[in-house]
Amino acid sequence: MRVLAVGEAGGAERTAFLEWEAAQRYRHALGSSAPFYRGLAEGRLRANRCRECGAAWFPPARFCRADLGPADWYDLPGTGRVISSAVVHSPPPFGGWDAPYVLASIRLDGTEGGITHRIAGEEAPRHGTAVRARFGAPAGEAHPLLGLFFEVTGESASEEEK
Amino acid sequence: MSGRALVVGVGMTPFRGFREDANLRDMAAEAAREALRDAGAGPDKIDLTVVACESDHFNRQLSPGPILQDAVGLAGKPVLRVEGGGATGALAVQTAAAAVASGRVRSALALGAETNGRGVDRPTAVEIMAMSADLEWETPVFGTFAAPYALMIVEHMRRYGTTPDQFARIAVKNRAAALHNPHAHKGMTLTVPQVRSSPPLAGPYRLYDASPLSDGAAAAVLADREWAQEHSANFRHRPPVQVRGAGCATDHPRLADRPPEMFPHFAAKRRAAQQAYREAGLDDPSRQIDVAEVYDSFSGAELQAYEDLGWCAAGEGGRAAEEGRFGLDGAPAVNTSGGLLGRGSAVGATGIAQAVEVVSQLRGEVPAPRAVAGARIGITDTHAGVGSLCAVNVFGRAA
Repeated sequence: MRVLAVGEAGGAERTAFLEWEAAQRYRHALGSSAPFYRGLAEGRLRANRCRECGAAWFPPARFCRADLGPADWYDLPGTGRVISSAVVHSPPPFGGWDAPYVLASIRLDGTEGGITHRIAGEEAPRHGTAVRARFGAPAGEAHPLLGLFFEVTGESASEEEK
Repeated sequence: MSGRALVVGVGMTPFRGFREDANLRDMAAEAAREALRDAGAGPDKIDLTVVACESDHFNRQLSPGPILQDAVGLAGKPVLRVEGGGATGALAVQTAAAAVASGRVRSALALGAETNGRGVDRPTAVEIMAMSADLEWETPVFGTFAAPYALMIVEHMRRYGTTPDQFARIAVKNRAAALHNPHAHKGMTLTVPQVRSSPPLAGPYRLYDASPLSDGAAAAVLADREWAQEHSANFRHRPPVQVRGAGCATDHPRLADRPPEMFPHFAAKRRAAQQAYREAGLDDPSRQIDVAEVYDSFSGAELQAYEDLGWCAAGEGGRAAEEGRFGLDGAPAVNTSGGLLGRGSAVGATGIAQAVEVVSQLRGEVPAPRAVAGARIGITDTHAGVGSLCAVNVFGRAA
């Protein structure tokens, strides 16, 4: 932490301030997600299945979120459907994507879960649009999760889901 | 149980973009002093402080409980700090009320303060806000907190035909109400086209659809009836107000984990409201609630709340907003303070500032044109994240 300035402001009743900054640096354990990130680097989207009850989980977790049983890893097909999407006009906090970018909540095939992530292109796809995971190297100092993105592969499902 | 807790004193600072003249503990002291003077009691009569601070990153003070409590003459007494994102202040009120109702203490001070304003520079604020999403899976992809709100309202629009003009009306309504509230941060005369042409944030949301970040503090004194009669000099001179019910519930914190059929809805808000209504004995909430402070962090979140708080059917919130059904003369009247959009949000203080407005309305102390005449039941509604945790509190005039 360091003080950058000490100053005064205001009119009749003068106020005083300090300007200071603190740099924070973390060694952040990826923990139970480590195999997921190894999978990303190999072009695989990995999820967990409970060895005891068979429940499938994405995003992965150390234990089954239903019965706390041990979790095994398996590969998802990487396909899914858009639930909702929006153009976002400011870049993510770790960088890696230029704004504007398209963000979507995606229901992933092969699991009950989903992911909120980027869709390539400039248009926000409609509800029900089929998408597929694509893998690249995250740009510069970006978060490794940003090595993943999704691509539209088909039109929106014909039946309106309620 | 020794009965329901009474709210015997309320107070708050103005919410402002930056308090050049006050730090966190100064603001907490201002709010607590006002609440204690409103009660007509000294700090020596308070048994417990429940401090509401959301973010040590914004406030630059870890373990703020003893520090804020000391600033208001309560050193030596027990203190605890609660945190629940945007619901932090509401949880402090629930916790203080429960401590009193249990009989473990006779009085408690709920005290919230936050420095969310311009003292934290914009890039730092954006980074800190980003960390209030799921750090492992959502923070890396959210360029702004408008993004998850936008994803929810886009699906609401698709499914129900809700329009951006409908939620822009809420931005106009709440900022207009704030013009009449001297404690408000952002009272403005706006039009729907001005909201719609402000800079884009995410999806249909524009700058004026978003609530501002504020500096501010708020406090409430809760006590049992015997304490009120014995120690609150002002208790006899105005209608007593009780905490009638409290609800708290959670949802899947990550949007993509929510069942698709519930995607545009705050499921936890429904559960929290049902719990609070049940406890308060409300079975027809839109008829029984006179005044409500609703968590309008984004304009569309208010119309979603109309539905999830049970005042209209799912999908009707947009039309209700368009018709101005929950304006200053609505049933209930929503966000007479200006809401987060107009009064502003100093996160830990927000749920308590809502209680300040509702209690003042129930006492008949809010001046025209914000006054809701004859109000007997009021609620506060808050949530963390995009509804990961919701807290609803019901207040009522005691017999």
